[in-house]
Amino acid sequence: MREYLTTERIDPSKRLVVERTKDFGEIYEVFDKDDAASQSDRCIQCGDPFCLNKCPLHNYIPQWLKSIAEKDLDLAFRLSNEPSPFPEVMGRVCPHDRLCEGDCTLNDGHGAITIGSIETHITEEGFKAGLTPNFPGITSDKRVAVIGSGPAGLSVATYLLRSGIAVTMYERADRAGGLLTYGIPNFKLDKKIVERRVSLLEDAGMKLVLNCEVGKDLTFEEIANKHDAMFIGVGATKAKNAGLAGEQAANVYAAMDYLTNIQKKNFKTAYDKKFDFKDQDVVVIGGGDTAMDCLRTAKREGAKSVTCLYRRDELNMPGSKKEYKNAMEEGVDFSFLSSPKEIILDESGKAIAVEIVKTTLGAKGSDGRQRMEEVKGSETRVNADIVIMSLGFDPVVPSFLAENGIETNSWGGIVINEETHETTTSGIYAGGDCFRGADLVVTAAFDGREAARSIAKSLLK
Amino acid sequence: MVEHHDLLRSFKDNCGFGLVANIKNKPSRKVLDDAVTALERMMHRGAVAADGKTGDGSGLLLSMPTEFMVKVAAESGVELSKQFAVASIFTKDLKHLDVLDEICANNDLKIVLRREVPIDINALGDQAIASLPNIVQIFIVPNSIMATNRFDALLYLSRKETEHKLIEDRDFYIASMSSTVLSYKGLVMPTHIKEFYKDFNDESFKISFSLFHQRFSTNTLPEWRLAQPFRAVAHNGEINSVEGNRINVEIKSESIKSDVFTDEEIQRILPILQLNSSDSASADNFFEFLIVNGMDFFKAVRAVIPSAWQNAPHMDPELRAFYEYHSTVFEAWDGPAAFSVTDGRYIGCVLDRNGLRPSKYIVTKDDNLLIASEYGVVDIAEEDIKERGRLQSGEMIGLDLKFGKLLKSDQINDYLKGSNPYMKWLNEHMIYLQEHVEEQYSSCNNINADELVKRQKFFNITQEIVEQVIEPMIKDGKEAVGSMGDDTPLAAFSDKQRNFSDYFKQKFAQVTNPPIDPIREKVVMSLNTGFGEVHNILDEIPTHAHRLKSISPIITKEKLEVLKSFGDKSSPRYQAFYHNTTFSTAYTTDLKASLDTLVTTVIDSVRNNGTRIVILDDSEFDENTKVIPMAMAIGRLNIALLKEKIRHLVSMIAVTGEVVDSHSAAVLIGYGASAIYPNVLFATVANQLSNSKSLQLSCPEAYKAVHTALNNGLLKIMSKMGIATIASYRNSGLFDVMGLSKEIAQECFEMSHCAIAGLTYDDIDERIEKFHKSAFKNDGFKKIFPLNIGGYYKFYTGQEHHDFGPAVIHAIHAVADSGKKEDFDRLKNLVNNRGLKFIRDFFDMKSGREPIDISEVEPKEAIFKRFASAAMSLGSISPEAHETIAIAMNRIGGQSNSGEGGEDKSRFGTERVSKIKQVASGRFGVTPAYLRSAEEIQIKVAQGAKPGEGGQLPGHKVTALIGKLRHTVPGVTLISPPPHHDIYSIEDLSQLIFDMKQVNPKARIAVKLVSTIGVGTIAAGVAKAYADKIIISGGDGGTGAAPLTSLKFAGNPWELGLSEAHNALKANNLRGLVELQTDGGLKSGIDVVKAALLGAESFAFGTGVLTIVGCKMLRICHVNKCSVGIATQNEKLRQEFFKGHVDQIINYFTLLAEDVRSIMAELGYKTMEEMVGQVSTLKVKDDPFAQKFDFSAVLHEEEGVNTHQQRFNHPFDDNSFEKDVLKEAMVAIKSPDQPIRITREIKNVHRSFGALVSGEIAEYYGDDGLKPDTIKINLTGSAGQALGAFITPGVSIYLDGVANDYIGKGMNGGKIIITSKNEGEEFSAGGNTCLYGATGGKLYISGSVGERFAVRNSGAFAIVEGTGDNACEYMTGGVVVILGKTGINFGAGMTGGVSFVYDQEHRFVENVNHELVEAVRIDTDEGDEARHYLKRLLKDYVVETKSKKAIELLENFRVEVRNFWLVKPKNLTKLPLNLENGD
Repeated sequence: MREYLTTERIDPSKRLVVERTKDFGEIYEVFDKDDAASQSDRCIQCGDPFCLNKCPLHNYIPQWLKSIAEKDLDLAFRLSNEPSPFPEVMGRVCPHDRLCEGDCTLNDGHGAITIGSIETHITEEGFKAGLTPNFPGITSDKRVAVIGSGPAGLSVATYLLRSGIAVTMYERADRAGGLLTYGIPNFKLDKKIVERRVSLLEDAGMKLVLNCEVGKDLTFEEIANKHDAMFIGVGATKAKNAGLAGEQAANVYAAMDYLTNIQKKNFKTAYDKKFDFKDQDVVVIGGGDTAMDCLRTAKREGAKSVTCLYRRDELNMPGSKKEYKNAMEEGVDFSFLSSPKEIILDESGKAIAVEIVKTTLGAKGSDGRQRMEEVKGSETRVNADIVIMSLGFDPVVPSFLAENGIETNSWGGIVINEETHETTTSGIYAGGDCFRGADLVVTAAFDGREAARSIAKSLLK
Repeated sequence: MVEHHDLLRSFKDNCGFGLVANIKNKPSRKVLDDAVTALERMMHRGAVAADGKTGDGSGLLLSMPTEFMVKVAAESGVELSKQFAVASIFTKDLKHLDVLDEICANNDLKIVLRREVPIDINALGDQAIASLPNIVQIFIVPNSIMATNRFDALLYLSRKETEHKLIEDRDFYIASMSSTVLSYKGLVMPTHIKEFYKDFNDESFKISFSLFHQRFSTNTLPEWRLAQPFRAVAHNGEINSVEGNRINVEIKSESIKSDVFTDEEIQRILPILQLNSSDSASADNFFEFLIVNGMDFFKAVRAVIPSAWQNAPHMDPELRAFYEYHSTVFEAWDGPAAFSVTDGRYIGCVLDRNGLRPSKYIVTKDDNLLIASEYGVVDIAEEDIKERGRLQSGEMIGLDLKFGKLLKSDQINDYLKGSNPYMKWLNEHMIYLQEHVEEQYSSCNNINADELVKRQKFFNITQEIVEQVIEPMIKDGKEAVGSMGDDTPLAAFSDKQRNFSDYFKQKFAQVTNPPIDPIREKVVMSLNTGFGEVHNILDEIPTHAHRLKSISPIITKEKLEVLKSFGDKSSPRYQAFYHNTTFSTAYTTDLKASLDTLVTTVIDSVRNNGTRIVILDDSEFDENTKVIPMAMAIGRLNIALLKEKIRHLVSMIAVTGEVVDSHSAAVLIGYGASAIYPNVLFATVANQLSNSKSLQLSCPEAYKAVHTALNNGLLKIMSKMGIATIASYRNSGLFDVMGLSKEIAQECFEMSHCAIAGLTYDDIDERIEKFHKSAFKNDGFKKIFPLNIGGYYKFYTGQEHHDFGPAVIHAIHAVADSGKKEDFDRLKNLVNNRGLKFIRDFFDMKSGREPIDISEVEPKEAIFKRFASAAMSLGSISPEAHETIAIAMNRIGGQSNSGEGGEDKSRFGTERVSKIKQVASGRFGVTPAYLRSAEEIQIKVAQGAKPGEGGQLPGHKVTALIGKLRHTVPGVTLISPPPHHDIYSIEDLSQLIFDMKQVNPKARIAVKLVSTIGVGTIAAGVAKAYADKIIISGGDGGTGAAPLTSLKFAGNPWELGLSEAHNALKANNLRGLVELQTDGGLKSGIDVVKAALLGAESFAFGTGVLTIVGCKMLRICHVNKCSVGIATQNEKLRQEFFKGHVDQIINYFTLLAEDVRSIMAELGYKTMEEMVGQVSTLKVKDDPFAQKFDFSAVLHEEEGVNTHQQRFNHPFDDNSFEKDVLKEAMVAIKSPDQPIRITREIKNVHRSFGALVSGEIAEYYGDDGLKPDTIKINLTGSAGQALGAFITPGVSIYLDGVANDYIGKGMNGGKIIITSKNEGEEFSAGGNTCLYGATGGKLYISGSVGERFAVRNSGAFAIVEGTGDNACEYMTGGVVVILGKTGINFGAGMTGGVSFVYDQEHRFVENVNHELVEAVRIDTDEGDEARHYLKRLLKDYVVETKSKKAIELLENFRVEVRNFWLVKPKNLTKLPLNLENGD
């Protein structure tokens, strides 16, 4: 261990840009054993492991780095799969540079440990080697319904099944995975990875009910009556509006609609053809990870140009630096310090450009972000055939919540007891984006795990 | 149990001691005169009270002055018969004498006269007069015809009975009551003892021998009764193992059968040891008991104070058999000890196995024997001296008064070993378990995986323990090493799962007694363990050798099975005295009741079923049953069996899952376990082997490694207290019990002190219940990774609280970088809202004063003055970090601390200088200029992270700069010994402080201690030793490297130690003499203010300062890879990654000082001065958890001043002797081109000679000093301690005579030449521990010297003609030539320099410690360079000393050269043989 002076940080190799933008295959290769070991060997094994502290799941990072350095895959697999419901997913989609790697002691010039890539390596190699997370089977007579099969739902299901509790999962879409399936493009997270986890859970005894929207296909009561507890993890899927003039135009799309349809296209199932942007000028408004996903998807879909408009500068972008870099490599244009003022429509009502004003950044405000000021007289236009709005999401508030005494707050988030994850209705639990608003996969996974802990505690008394 | 408040007034004592005797037993006045003179001349080894006249006590134990006694009796009309005795009694109430009368009468004794001893109270100080008792002599004769033996026995019996009867009355004391010896002692200074006791002036008062003693007590409440000698003994030193010894005497008392007394009489005599007496008094009691009961004088002495025999292959096997036989019932009274002993017929003196006390003797041509701590205490002309020697480690010298014969060590040993066929007895009866083990470590017992996990979880074996504690033991065979400090709460305050052994904090030696180095001085250590009944100690019969033996108290499954087979009726090996029974410690409900049941069952089994080995087993637990904590079970049984008086019948063995490291093992042994089979640990090891890819060992290899690691860990824990053998450690209870209720502490751990009493049996039960549940419930989840992750050693989110957790580290970094109040507020909130984690958190502050405006509070600059950075050496941290801290502390007007490791002279006098210069046990870079550059000199007696231990700077960290600063060669490993080799005792510390005050009279001298119960006593002693400042460090302090068990389990929170020290100083009226400082994790203003309220006047910051300059608590300081460039010497890391700067530190301390000010304003204090010690401002929080604990010890408040009232605490010895010399020397210092010659007569009371002059030279010329021989001083006589300490180039001291201990301590240049008419190896000419930490210069002595010659020498050239044990220990440089015998353990820990040893008898190689050095011949082609070098050295030696031995050697060099060995470190390639390096 502690070989950081002799071994430099290396990231796993990426496919060449020209190659990878031609398809939707994952761009990163998984570390081989030697790279994973030598990269892990750089770890200092700090007394205060900032990495695991920063990780919302508090993954056993230093511990599995040590075992990988010692080429003990089995131990690493068990360590990694203990606190995390799907480490191979987190290894791919987590913004490590903002979380574990960002807080890594060595991230002050030495180069942080490549925690994410090693995390992926562990479980991928583990599966290859025939390792599998053990489930005890359904050992209790308790049953829990999980509404929504996104990261929170999959996480709660994982830990409930590990406690021997039966789980029925209801998903309104045709496939399980929620955001993991339809929200994250395949080049970041191959859908087979998600499917593999879902089947593991099914093998462990989970009943999966697809194409079933609660309140429509089944009533809340019907589900509630058949189960001892319920977990709501319906996510936050309602796109936020920018409130710009012209955003109602037909060729102004919400990011998630775009990503979902392209994924359907990739699944070779029915999708809305209006999302084929070949040879179009695509402008994406927003600087988060979803914006990056849209930009890069459009690139792969053959758009003529792909431009990102973002109000602040690159340092202030909320998304992962890694994804920004990948987007840059793949030929996305970035227009920083550009605040959209209006979407310009032609006579037919079709968006043709975005009016922007340039901004400058001042001192940090109370939220820790730099204040933004517009530069007078700097208005310009960016031409666009397609505008994609990627400004974040709010929870959709299904009517069954209020009907069953489950309170929500001003922006639609479900109110829970943060210790138990229980909603204002006893026996009903919730977590993930429907409680937090649009947040990370890892926080949803955390909510799922902790909700499962308290459900198990209350059911298995 | 001793209550805390009593401790404030308790004491430890050390001293000067000795004896004079006429070998032919001829009474004379001269013997008395010599004894008194000797006492007078050792005044500096005692202490004087504030009244300037009351000493801590001195006295004489004389042979009965028969002529005088007969005369005074006759004057009172009593004609004494030939058989008479005199008792010497102190009593306030004369009526108590009637009690004695009555008891004597019952015992067939007749009192014929009461004589008031004539005294002159003008000889006393006020304090002594105030407590003066009546001093009465009682003349006693037999009432009927009886043999002398019976008469003596009845005297003893009567005395014991009287003592028991009057035990409540502390003012009644029988100083002696004997037919052969008589005591004259008291609270009188030696200079006045003759004046005080008028009897001494009577011409008929003649004696043939006298033991004498001058006492130095740590407290200021001396009592008449505490003066020594006692009835048989005068003792210098301290018995480290006395706690264990006391219990063990009680155990032995159960089976006493005496030839002298009837059983009924024995019952009247018991207990053997008087309660509440000192270690010396206990030893005296025990020794006297043995003698009176007819045990052979020499056997008794050697049974109680054996020399190191267990690991001494050089020792005669017959003698080893004697010791081994006696070890079945006696364990060593261990520790620094020089004992003078007499029973009237014999007189003797014995030295402890480590040779830690000086004991020097002279035999004169007119048949007088003088033994004393120092030479020169009686003037004896050289021509009258027949023999001048010293006792070596473990040696004894004796005198048979009846036949007028002097007995040396060898003769005594011959007598001992020949007195019985011990070897035969052992051969016939003793059983060594190892002999019956077919194959050790073979059974890799695998508890099945599921079951193992449950056990691991229940016993708190987390993944962290596996990784951090167990794996290092498997891989390295050593305990794991960690760095930085312990920032977790006490187990009692924690809401996380903790081991029961966490409630115990190890004790350690500081100041009044030294720790030992268990690695380098392994030869004295032993883990030898025996099982079986403790037989009658008073007879020697073959069957006493019935004993099962193991070389270690940690046993394997195989050994346990062998052991069981000897006590199993169904086994053919069965022997009733090993009959064993296994008891399960499992229970279902009610811990306390279950414990009671266990006790009853065991007692019944011992009483009625003949159980002799009790095996406690905690493996039978399951989902429904829990187990009693093993330490609780062992401790409780130990005490219960003792109360039932059947403890001697049994040995206890623990089969337990609780033991995973040496600490948990030590706890069990400390409370009475004989052996431990750590089953879950071994199973975990086996499990790791089969699961872990990184461990490529076989199971036996791994078991052996773990076993070795535990053994060495135990040795380390014992050695911290200065205890050498496990037998002396067992039962000692050398822990502070933290947070357990008084009831538990009393019932289970009675021999220990208990702090912050709190958790009851029910509380513990509740905690066990909780973790028992979690072990079986799996938290609801089926774990893929079943073990808990841990979080005790390192931070893990949601697990144990770490006060330097990530949030706090980030917050400190933010404060340091921004200097903004809002950032500090964020930090403050984190710290102040951490919950009830540390003792200070349990208190609210309510001063009862009106708040004041902050503008009225003294400015931050006044507070800055009270801030210091804690000692961190250049070496442990990088030069960049070191200087950044120094500059910042200087800029704000605080103090920075160099740590020990030297400092570049270019920093002196600039803002880069460290105002505090540290002196630690390694003495690295401690030169006259270094000391002279200090505003404060800090003597580090102990370090919070690892009190009682030394350290090691690995060679790879010793860069060119560090090598230079530490006066060694780069790449050489530098070892700091556990003790200061010039502080084994309080009077030694006083001497070191005296040295320092001579070298640098402008510096204040601070002494750094570590918090532990009893530190108050030590602090009082340190104040009396004239320190100006005392630092009480918390046990949480940081370190560059220390074993994890030391980091975690030794040293108490600072709150306890600070409060105790503050109050003890007040109780002893010493508080005004010294400043008090504390350190330990202080972060926010509240921390600082609370420390002030508890008595701290200033505050030090270690980890905090490092964090400010970028530390992220990596805890890898020991691997030189600190990624932020602080704890590393790696060039790249220092240059590119050290981001610390001065402003960060200034930012932090500015905000901290402001925070302190705002709290002061709220509390209504304008100045720190008025706030310090206002304990009543602190109130225990109104919180149910807080109310559980008893904080009264911390919140105790004595009367008196709260702060120091003087800047300097001046010694009573003003050193006018050398001041006078300095006046003359100043001429040459002013005009160095004009050399000067000074002549003086010197006496042993003139100490540290040369230091004052050298300090003055260093002031102007630094370590370059003056040209050779600029100041040449010719001395005649006996020099006092530390002759030539810290002398610089240009000073030459020629002494015609002898010198005492510490010659050339810290010398940096110049020369010391000691010659005498009585020259050569057989004449001792110097004391112990010479050249300690010397960095240059030349020392020639044409005689032999004592123990530990040239210890930690790193540059001096020396030639002597013989040495004691442990010569050249820890040497890192310089050249030492020894032209005679050396003693054992030569070159232990020697990593640099070379030594030549003349070995005519070819026995030397046996004496070499081969760990690091090798001895090679020089009469080879390869040895050419060395040979000629040696020759040149000898020639120079002859020029200076005219040594006959050297002249002979040179004359026959061709022949003699083959008798020389060159000793050098094994990895030293280039020998430093360069004459020019010398002076």
